[in-house]
Amino acid sequence: MLRSGLYMLWAELFLLRRRVATWVLLGTWTGLGLLFGYIVPYAMYRSDDDEGPSALTGMLPDQLTQTVLDGFPFYGGAIALMLGVLSVGSEFGWDTLKTLFTQGPGRGRIFTAKMVALAIMIVPFAVSIFAFGTVASVIIARMEGITVVWPDSGTVLEGVAAGWLILVVWAAVGVLLAVITRGTSLAIGIGILYTLVIEGSISLLVDTVSFVEPVVDFFLRANSYSLIRPLGGASGASGDSAATDGPGAFSGPYVDTTQALVVLVVYALVLTGMSAWLLRRRDVA
Amino acid sequence: MPDHTNHGPHVIETRDLTRRYGEITAVDTLNLTVRRGEVYGFLGPNGAGKTTTLRMLLGLIRPTSGGIAVLGSSPGSAGSLARTGAMIETPAFYPHLSGGDNLRVLARYAAVDASRIDLVLDQVRLLDRAGDVFREYSLGMKQRLGVAAALLKDPELLILDEPTNGLDPAGMTEMRALIRELGQGNRTVLLSSHLMHEVEQTCDRAGIIAAGRLVAEGTIDDLLGEDALVVRAEPTLDAMAIARDIAGVRRASLVRGAIRIKTLPGAELDPAYLNARLVGAGVAVRELRLERASLESVFLDLTNPNELPARGDWPGHPDGNDTIHDEEVADVA
Ligand SMILES: Nc1ncnc2c1ncn2[C@@H]1O[C@H](COP(=O)(O)OP(=O)(O)O)[C@@H](O)[C@H]1O
Ligand SMILES: [Mg+2]
Repeated sequence: MLRSGLYMLWAELFLLRRRVATWVLLGTWTGLGLLFGYIVPYAMYRSDDDEGPSALTGMLPDQLTQTVLDGFPFYGGAIALMLGVLSVGSEFGWDTLKTLFTQGPGRGRIFTAKMVALAIMIVPFAVSIFAFGTVASVIIARMEGITVVWPDSGTVLEGVAAGWLILVVWAAVGVLLAVITRGTSLAIGIGILYTLVIEGSISLLVDTVSFVEPVVDFFLRANSYSLIRPLGGASGASGDSAATDGPGAFSGPYVDTTQALVVLVVYALVLTGMSAWLLRRRDVA
Repeated sequence: MPDHTNHGPHVIETRDLTRRYGEITAVDTLNLTVRRGEVYGFLGPNGAGKTTTLRMLLGLIRPTSGGIAVLGSSPGSAGSLARTGAMIETPAFYPHLSGGDNLRVLARYAAVDASRIDLVLDQVRLLDRAGDVFREYSLGMKQRLGVAAALLKDPELLILDEPTNGLDPAGMTEMRALIRELGQGNRTVLLSSHLMHEVEQTCDRAGIIAAGRLVAEGTIDDLLGEDALVVRAEPTLDAMAIARDIAGVRRASLVRGAIRIKTLPGAELDPAYLNARLVGAGVAVRELRLERASLESVFLDLTNPNELPARGDWPGHPDGNDTIHDEEVADVA
């Protein structure tokens, strides 16, 4: 049982590794992270003579976790959504589900292998941006002649874990959409529409329409931002970050961190469970 | 579910298997029996319900009603899938992976030793192209990779859905030879096809499906039956009545404007005698010829929508009590 499970996991990781899309998404993700977290702020700092050294704070190594985490609930969600959609949706497009489902292990086990592989593949996504962020911040510190102060390793680990969970939840959304639509394009379209229009727009109504708040409290956005807040992400700690005034601006409402953790874990489980249920009972035509 | 054990003679058995898609009944109370070790042809025109049936046998789709036993287990169960290899419709693989890598992925899923990969690639003569990506394979190579994948488990039961579709004549011949080879020994092969001569050349037994129903099942020899006399004559209905009166005639039916006359087993009908009878009765005979038995004629006979087959006429037909008499057929025509 375990042995065959590991074989299947190997197969799924192989499939993910051998897809160009996986690496394109990873590259896009780290690229965006560096751009918003370091390159753009540093360019602004250099071009504006009025900025004092305090404007550099967020770009220095000790602020790594705060700066890097901001990207996770924002474009990180979209990237993970696409990764989730592609990992399952493409199988519909290629018609390969029928090939997989006639191999022997039940649909439930095959889907489990896919999900575990996806969760494992998201680890390098969470780690890489921290790694590149470290490099970028050290380079900036050197260029500015500032002594490198390393970030607290515990906070970094918590940051990686929180970021990973956020990406996993979004990937689970992508998987469910792919299973529902039996494909990739529509799933990605609906997913992006959902983040921008539903979660994005309705969140803006929180201050004006009273009944919206309880709904928004269960949005992925609110819970994702709430989860990283105690780690310094999505707050004023890093000064002018994308989360406070960029396109990913988020101004609350925040929920309790534990609540956010529970809500996100429940989301991941429920979404995955729904996908498994649908995939198991529907026709493979 | 039919009652039998893993080691019973029937590798596949369906009971009143039915699958509807909305208004369409793709498979209609189908009773199929495939025996251990045989190469069974599942013959029917496009849209007859072959693929739908095979998908149900593999658990890819669920029946609307009816029962299935595959290798003594329910369809799609780990128990039956572990011993079944299949290729359904077009071969489906990861387009960006090589043929070999595709098989490596499937071997992991099927818990099959990786040493089988080269073995099956060699069996379908694809070993030298194993490193090329699937996307760039020719259709024939894709089909062969599909067969190779189906062979990975060294399965007791091999289900191939129109594996010669889209192949050139040489490829078809090669594929049929391969299927015969694969069907030797204890392995059971279920081959679906819309080509009568393919089934005639390749299979031991066959079932003929039309509009979702099994209209005949038996050995190829049984199904071929006897030669037929084909007559074009005016007035047609008079001619048909005269033909039916002749001793030894089992059946006279109208097929696309011509009367096809079949005799009872062992009986001979002399064309000269038939001609004399018809002319004697004032019927104008425009054409009279002998049609050699072939699965093609059986097939056309059975699947012709203008002429319902006389159910029960065919040896081994599972549905003998649902007989439509020739008279009724003639009236319809
Ligand atoms: N997923 C589906 N939805 C609706 N109709 C279908 C579906 N699959 C098959 N059919 C219909 O069922 C009938 C049998 O199709 P199929 O089993 O593919 O035939 P064959 O394989 O013998 O060519 C056809 O009329 C086809 O249009
Ligand atoms: Mg078909």
